[in-house]
Amino acid sequence: MNVDDQIDQNRFAEVFLPHVDDAFRLARWISGSRADAEDIVQEASLRAFKGIRNFNGGSTRAWTLTIVRNASYSWLAKNRPSTVVLTEDLDQRAREEMERGAGDGDVPTPEAALIAKMEAEEVRNAVAALPLPFREILVLREIHDLDYRSIAEIIQVPIGTVMSRLARARKLIFATLRESAR
Amino acid sequence: MSVSEQDELVLNAYLDGELGPIEAARFEQRLAKEPELAAEVDARRALRDSLRSGLAEDVPSDDLRRRIMASVGGAEVHKARPWARSWSSLAASFLVGALLGGGLIFGALNDQGQQDVASQVVSAHIRALMAPQSIDVPSSDRHTVKPWFAGKLALAPKVVDLSTKGFPLVGGRIDVIGLAPVASLVYTNGKHLISVMEMPSAQPLAAPLEKHVEQGYQALTWSDGKITYWVVSDAAVEELKTFVGLFQEAAES
Repeated sequence: MNVDDQIDQNRFAEVFLPHVDDAFRLARWISGSRADAEDIVQEASLRAFKGIRNFNGGSTRAWTLTIVRNASYSWLAKNRPSTVVLTEDLDQRAREEMERGAGDGDVPTPEAALIAKMEAEEVRNAVAALPLPFREILVLREIHDLDYRSIAEIIQVPIGTVMSRLARARKLIFATLRESAR
Repeated sequence: MSVSEQDELVLNAYLDGELGPIEAARFEQRLAKEPELAAEVDARRALRDSLRSGLAEDVPSDDLRRRIMASVGGAEVHKARPWARSWSSLAASFLVGALLGGGLIFGALNDQGQQDVASQVVSAHIRALMAPQSIDVPSSDRHTVKPWFAGKLALAPKVVDLSTKGFPLVGGRIDVIGLAPVASLVYTNGKHLISVMEMPSAQPLAAPLEKHVEQGYQALTWSDGKITYWVVSDAAVEELKTFVGLFQEAAES
């Protein structure tokens, strides 16, 4: 192995490898399958290794997750083209529903109590059933504990969009859980 | 529900720690007066707790790291040792090893192997000293440092408070030793930084304290049969042994 390769390997080991668990979780939530997630992370690791010289400081975690997200989308487009939804449509719908939000006529339910009663499994299933743009944002926030700015960077949308999608994602989860508790 | 769209965004931002201190204080005043708003925040907190509850088990198989190293053409694959696995899967292989009875999985770490780890541990410590910031989570509060690891590693390290003994905690970071992420705690003693790295033991036997010297740094290692500890510093070896004694004592209690 020559010196350059060794340097790349060392950088890869420092930048990508510490985040393999995080990478796996993101890919699993996006793809919905453990086996597919491992394929995706392997593909992402190859991309990361080839592009390791493009990494110039900043958060190694955000850099890694950006690559994993892109690899996940490529994988979905190739293997499950029907699941990739146009986010513009969803954002429009989310806005409309948020505007209507006040008048949906629901009796206020103590959702905190509802969730406390439910199995974590059920809650996770509800997240898994969210449309992809809402799911990934909720996962990046709650599972990966990223702040709005990092999320905006990873998924390449303005912070305002992060905020409205996240708010919508949470409301959708509550709607699903109320439905299944009925 | 009659939470306006604007309030909805603010309460989400509040929950996510994205409000400035003044906005947050103002919002907390509202929460005290508006139970409906408070219920919305509680619901989102419950959702978060629920989603984070199963996090530690949600890790990839052992195989993934091996596949990754194979796909980037790493010669390291051949060097992979039992501890170069994710922590939780190590517990699984322990079980398998116990069932096989032969302990095949725990090939004893030979001297050469331990020397490798010593030099990696020291390199990680030096790299941290050279970096603009030698810690990823700067905090002297072990109740902040431990949960920080919990979100990133399958097994959170033992974090002990030795501030009254002259070794205050200053934070933690993640190092990569043998291609696996490892929790490192950083303590200080005067002007010296002390890194403590915790990794799963390669064999289920306790090992007594052993000293390595690498590039002028002292590295002490021991194992309690579950976790192998490495302590690295440029502090004098006597100081370091005092530190190890205090650490062991506090970790056991």
